[in-house]
Amino acid sequence: MHALANPARFLRIARPASSWLLAIGLALALGGMAAGLLLTPPDYLQGETVRILYIHVPSAWLGMAGWAGIAAASVSQLVWRHPLAAVAGRAIAPAGATFAALCLVTGSIWGRPTWGTWWEWDGRLTSMLMLFFLYLGYIALGSAERERGGEGRVTAIFGLVGAINLPIIHYSVLWWRTLHQGQSIGVTGSSIDNALLWPLPLTMFGFTCLFAAAVLMRMRAALAEAKIEARQRRMTQP
Amino acid sequence: MNPWPFVIAAYAVTVGTTGALLMWALATMRRAEAAAEALKRR
Amino acid sequence: MKPKNQRLVLVAAAAAAVLAAVLLAMWGLRDQASYFYTPADVAAGKAEEGRAVRLGGMVESGSVRRQPDGVTIRFSVTDGQARTPVTYRGIVPDLFREGSGAVAEGRVVKGTFVADTILAKHDERYMPPELGNLAAERKAGKTLQR
Repeated sequence: MHALANPARFLRIARPASSWLLAIGLALALGGMAAGLLLTPPDYLQGETVRILYIHVPSAWLGMAGWAGIAAASVSQLVWRHPLAAVAGRAIAPAGATFAALCLVTGSIWGRPTWGTWWEWDGRLTSMLMLFFLYLGYIALGSAERERGGEGRVTAIFGLVGAINLPIIHYSVLWWRTLHQGQSIGVTGSSIDNALLWPLPLTMFGFTCLFAAAVLMRMRAALAEAKIEARQRRMTQP
Repeated sequence: MNPWPFVIAAYAVTVGTTGALLMWALATMRRAEAAAEALKRR
Repeated sequence: MKPKNQRLVLVAAAAAAVLAAVLLAMWGLRDQASYFYTPADVAAGKAEEGRAVRLGGMVESGSVRRQPDGVTIRFSVTDGQARTPVTYRGIVPDLFREGSGAVAEGRVVKGTFVADTILAKHDERYMPPELGNLAAERKAGKTLQR
C-alpha cells in the first residue's frame, strides 16, 4: 500500500502540473526564440550566427541537468528505495537524450560558420558526445532490466556513475585547451552584453518547463502502464 | 558565408525535435491512461 | 546502523571513490587531452618537427601578410610568451582576424608552422557591434591564456 500512496499523491499534482508546464513552456520558449531571431542585435564578431546561442545554451543545460536528475533519482532509489525514483529516472532519460543531441547538432551548425568546422575532437565536444552515448546506454540498460522484471538497480548504479561526466563537461574548457570558448555565464556575472543576453533566460526557462512537462507525461504513462500490468497479472492468476 | 541558412537550420531542428518529443510523450501518456481507465471500468 | 543509512554510506563511499579515480585520470591526461600546442610549447620543442599537430594562439596584430601568389598567407601566432610564424595556403574562416584566436592544423618545418587547415577560435564575450568595435580597439587578449 505504501508503494501506491506516493504515486497517487504524485498524480494529483502531476496531472495539472504537466498541462501548466506545457503551456508556460511553449509561450516562453517560442517568445524567447522569436526575440532571439528578430529583436536582438547581431554580435560584433560573429554577426547573425550568434542567434544559435538562444537554443544551444538551453539544450546544453537540459542535457546536463537531465543527467543530474537521473543521478538524484538513482540515489533516492538505491538509498531510500523511493517508489517513484526508478520511474522518474527512466522518464528523464529520453528527454535528456533529446536535448543532449540538440546541443550537439546546434553546436555543430554553429561551428561551421564561426570556427570553420562541423566537428572537432576537443575536450568539450567529446565529453558532450559521451553524455549522449551515456543516455543511450542508460535507456538500453533500463529497458533490458525492466524486461527481465528487475528493480532497475543496475540501471541506477549506471546513472550514478555516469554523473562523473558532468563535472568533466563543465570544466573541460578550463582543464584543457579547447576550441570551444570558456564559460560565458558564471555566478559572478556574464560576459554576454545585456543587449544580447535578455532572450536567453526566456528560452532557458521555457525549454526547462517543456522538459519538465515531457518528464511528467512520461511518468504518468509509466504509472498507467504499471497499473494495467498489475491488473492483468491479478486477472490471469486469481 | 551567409549566416541565415545555418541559423534557420538550427532553429528548425530544435523546434522540430522538441515538438516531436512532446507529441510522443503526450500521445503515449494519453494512450496508457485511457487503457488504464478502460480496464478499471470493466 | 539502520539499513537505510548503511546504503547511504555505501553509495556515498562508492561515489567518492569513482570521483577520485576519474579526477586523477583527468589530471594525468591534461597534457594529452589538450587540443593544441601553444607557441611556448613549440619554442620549448614539445611539438616534434614534421609530426601532425595543432597550434593555437592569438593572431598577432599587423602580422598577416598575403603572399604575391594570392592564396598563401603568412602570419604569426602568439600566446604572450613566444611567437610562431605560420604559413597557410587556402581560404580562412570568416572569423579569422588579427588580434583574435586561431587554431592551425599542420606541422612544424624548420621553426615555421606549415598549416593545412585554419580554424577560428572566439572567446566567451558576446556584444553588439558598436560595443564590440570599441573593445576590439582596446584589443582583448584573454582567450588563449588558458
